[in-house]
Amino acid sequence: MRKPDGKIVLLGDMNVGKTSLLQRYMERRFPDTVSTVGGAFYLKQWRSFNISIWDTAGREQFHGLGSMYCRGAAAVILTYDVNHLQSLVELEDRFLGLTDTASKDCLFAIVGNKVDLTEEGAAESGEKEGHDPSKAGGGCASPRVPKQVQLEDAMALYKKILKYKMLDEKDVPAAEQMCFETSAKTGYNVDLLFETLFDMVVPMILQQRAEGPPQTVDITSSKPTKRTRSGCCA
Amino acid sequence: MMNIKAFTLVSAVERELLMGDKERINIECVECCGRNLYVGTNDCFLYHFLLEEKALPAGTAAFTATRQLHRHLGFRKPVNELRAASALNRLLVLCDNCITLVDMLNLEPVPSGARIKGATAFALNENPVSADPFCVEVCILSVKRRTVQVFLVYEDRVQIVKELSTPEQPLAVAVDGHFLCLALTTQYIILNYSTGLSQDLFPYCSEEKRPIVKRIGRQEFLLAGPGGLGMFATVAGISQRAPVHWAENVIGAAVCFPYVIALDDEFITVHSMLDQQQKQTLPFKEGHILQDFEGRVIVATSKGVYILVPLPLEKQIQDLLANRRVEEALVLAKGARRNIPKEKFQVMYRRILQQAGFIQFAQLQFLEAKELFRSGQLDVRELISLYPFLLPTSSSFTRSHPPLHEYADLNQLTQGDQEKMAKCKRFLMSYLNEVRSTEVANGYKEDIDTALLKLYAEADHDSLLDLLVTENFCLLTDSAAWLEKHKKYFALGLLYHYNNQDAAALQLWVNIVNGDIQDSTRSDLYEYIVDFLTYCLDQELVWTYADWVLQRSEEVGVQVFTKRPWDEQQKNSFNPDDIISCLKKYPKALVKYLEHLVIDRRLQKEEYHTHLAVLYLEEVLQQRAAAASQGSEPSDTQTKLRHLLQKSDLYRVHFLIERIQGAGLPMESAILHGKLGEHGKALHILVHELGDFSAAEDYCLWGSEGQDAPCRRHLFHTLLAMYLHAGPAAHELTVAAVDLLNRHATEFDATQVLQLLPGSWSVQLLCPFLTGAMRDSIHARRTTQVAVGLARSENLIYTYNKMKLKGSAIWLSDQKLCQLCQNPFGEPVFVRYPNGGLVHTHCATNRHTTPSSPSPGTRT
Repeated sequence: MRKPDGKIVLLGDMNVGKTSLLQRYMERRFPDTVSTVGGAFYLKQWRSFNISIWDTAGREQFHGLGSMYCRGAAAVILTYDVNHLQSLVELEDRFLGLTDTASKDCLFAIVGNKVDLTEEGAAESGEKEGHDPSKAGGGCASPRVPKQVQLEDAMALYKKILKYKMLDEKDVPAAEQMCFETSAKTGYNVDLLFETLFDMVVPMILQQRAEGPPQTVDITSSKPTKRTRSGCCA
Repeated sequence: MMNIKAFTLVSAVERELLMGDKERINIECVECCGRNLYVGTNDCFLYHFLLEEKALPAGTAAFTATRQLHRHLGFRKPVNELRAASALNRLLVLCDNCITLVDMLNLEPVPSGARIKGATAFALNENPVSADPFCVEVCILSVKRRTVQVFLVYEDRVQIVKELSTPEQPLAVAVDGHFLCLALTTQYIILNYSTGLSQDLFPYCSEEKRPIVKRIGRQEFLLAGPGGLGMFATVAGISQRAPVHWAENVIGAAVCFPYVIALDDEFITVHSMLDQQQKQTLPFKEGHILQDFEGRVIVATSKGVYILVPLPLEKQIQDLLANRRVEEALVLAKGARRNIPKEKFQVMYRRILQQAGFIQFAQLQFLEAKELFRSGQLDVRELISLYPFLLPTSSSFTRSHPPLHEYADLNQLTQGDQEKMAKCKRFLMSYLNEVRSTEVANGYKEDIDTALLKLYAEADHDSLLDLLVTENFCLLTDSAAWLEKHKKYFALGLLYHYNNQDAAALQLWVNIVNGDIQDSTRSDLYEYIVDFLTYCLDQELVWTYADWVLQRSEEVGVQVFTKRPWDEQQKNSFNPDDIISCLKKYPKALVKYLEHLVIDRRLQKEEYHTHLAVLYLEEVLQQRAAAASQGSEPSDTQTKLRHLLQKSDLYRVHFLIERIQGAGLPMESAILHGKLGEHGKALHILVHELGDFSAAEDYCLWGSEGQDAPCRRHLFHTLLAMYLHAGPAAHELTVAAVDLLNRHATEFDATQVLQLLPGSWSVQLLCPFLTGAMRDSIHARRTTQVAVGLARSENLIYTYNKMKLKGSAIWLSDQKLCQLCQNPFGEPVFVRYPNGGLVHTHCATNRHTTPSSPSPGTRT
């Protein structure tokens, strides 16, 4: 079995769409999913690296496993449902604690999924796909509602997390960079989310490798290695 | 979820063999080591059986157990656990919180009485830290609260290595190296007994369910998690595999690569460790023990022992393939890599890839199929052979046995669906095109290229021609028949050509042009044939078709001779005279050919030049006769004729003059006279017959081309004289004379001209001439002066050099005498001649001439 070079973990309350996001990205489809039991993972080849992406179960029952899944993670994607404020609250209350086992320079992304169900999301995807929004809405049973969670709320949470982790805002990517609103159904922002993270994780992997065998002294890299955390493809 | 059959459940020890009809006796634990099977019971008995395995053709096996010794252990307690240490020939028996060592064969306790007391459970370290082969490492859960101990067990003694306390009461343990994986009351942890460091894994509730801790391989454990999950965890506390999903009430777990097997109240379930999917479910009631022993999986109820016999992986893979479950089959095959010798694996794996490729192919998943064929190194003829008639009849290929797929041919595979068939053909085209230049094609390039040719021809594909004009291995007979069948005659010609049968190729193409057979591949086929013949090295062939190409078009056809590469022409393979005699029937072609020889090739041979001139002349005469009217503009041919007459010095002038006489071609005859040096005659014709003064001027210019200046001057003077002799009455000629002078001032000798001119002409009239002449004269003078100056200075330089070479200090003494008067020198002044002779100054002035130097030398 190929050994993954880095790990990314999806966390979040049940039913926010973690599995769907991952399937949309990996398999380019949006199938009906059943509640995830335990967890699952995909191996993604990104440049020359293997990155494992873990999909965890949101159900309370499997909550205890979260810490183990997060152990050594290079990045954690905290997922909520833009139409359920509680799902954002849960991220702080229940899930943030699980990430204590993650790698010390772990990245955090906060993702509001299901924007397709909101009024603006419908308009957005309607425009993008070139469909008549009202017609697109007609095919779907769920009514469009105003978004319950704004992107600003997610950014506020992001800053709280930094405080919790005692990280300096200057040392980590900005909130604007790390808070996403996505739709696994339409695919909106899904690639952006994962690929932004991959690009940020790769330098971390390289750094880990450089630090890897401690008995080897690499003279050439004796000067402090510059962290390129904002290595996003912007 | 579709199932596969990974295991069959067979009985090993029947109830009767063990306990007969004693109702209350239950099996408590089992151990299997090689052929030895041990069973511990609740009435403190230990049984030893020998297992006999008999392979069955279906890939499974049957077991018969023969009872050996059995022994009562001397307690009133059940036997809790049994572990064999075969290297020590010892069996570790846990009964009544005490681990005793008994002999594996006679079941007698070791005489030393060595034992470990106070254990509630124990585990052997299958990845021992110690290098000593005659000791085993054992970890026990102690009867002491929250304590685990590590022992080394030898043949007849035990030694404690470590005792550690745990944060909670431990309930189950597994060991790997220094790492203990422990189920505590509320959570699982990893504990390094060497460092004492522990690592939490995850919480669970021991009150709700019995924990399971199972080592599944190096540094990896399988644990029963919440919600019936089988969780994988490494000693680092990380999960590297997704969990498997068991029933809530799972009792035991075992591993038989690549499967994880779990036991619950009603079923044995089998999950793959490779994709975490459930693969098989076997109903099994009242099971309470599930363990694997060196790859052998044993389940037991309280009354009987059963063995789960794994089906050979290859068979499992074949079953998956038969159900078109390509992904799973490949995952399983890849997973089996480390369990199968490399050589054998590669052969097997390649075959599986090929089979998988055909499955994808049959579903028209061409991209996937191609990749599988490529990685499986498929003999591409396997694929070609699916397509009827594509393999050459001479091909020795037979499909591999057993077959890689179930299809007889493409018709069966597509069930006659034409669209699918076309897709398959397009795929094969692109596939063959890709592989034909790779090493995949080695050894059967003929088969591949012939198949490709057939596909192209059938599909009317452009690449057919590309294939045939580049290096290829198409088999002639097979391909030819096929091309003929599909009326690809042009391509067939190319095939013949490639096979060095140019005659056959040409015959075909000629037939197409003639309309005898139909093939519209090339609309310019005639030109193609001409081109082909031009570069054809086979003379015979060129001669054969020369008439044919010339008949179609003299101008184009003659290219087979004129455009031949010159080096080949020079190798005298084609004699110009032969060609000329061949071209006799084709006047236009003949002219072209002679032009080629005379103008392009610059052949200096009189006949060709004369012949060409005569042909031109004939044509001009013909044109004249036809046109009748005296066209003022010369025709193209006439221009060419004049040009030839002017430029060439080789033709027979007299012969042409004869031909031209009375033909009314004054310009031409002027040129001819000029060629004979009869300039007066020529100019006379031009001036008096033609009255074309500019032609006369031109004549002076070209007639003197390549000759010296006096010759040119002579021509101009002749012309001028001709103009002037006509007298003032011929006004036109006077004007011409003035123009001539003014235009070509420098060509004349001005003094001579001035004497010729009538006195009545004004200076103004001749102003340009006079200025020109003057300018020229002055120019000549000045250049001459410059030349003289330069010559002088050059001379001076030489003289100086000479003096330098000759001159050295001259010693004047009493002995030196004047060479003239023979008297000594009285004063320091003397004269020295360049030849070195010294004389008195007065002697030098007296004698003006000296024998050696005309002028006095320098005085020193």
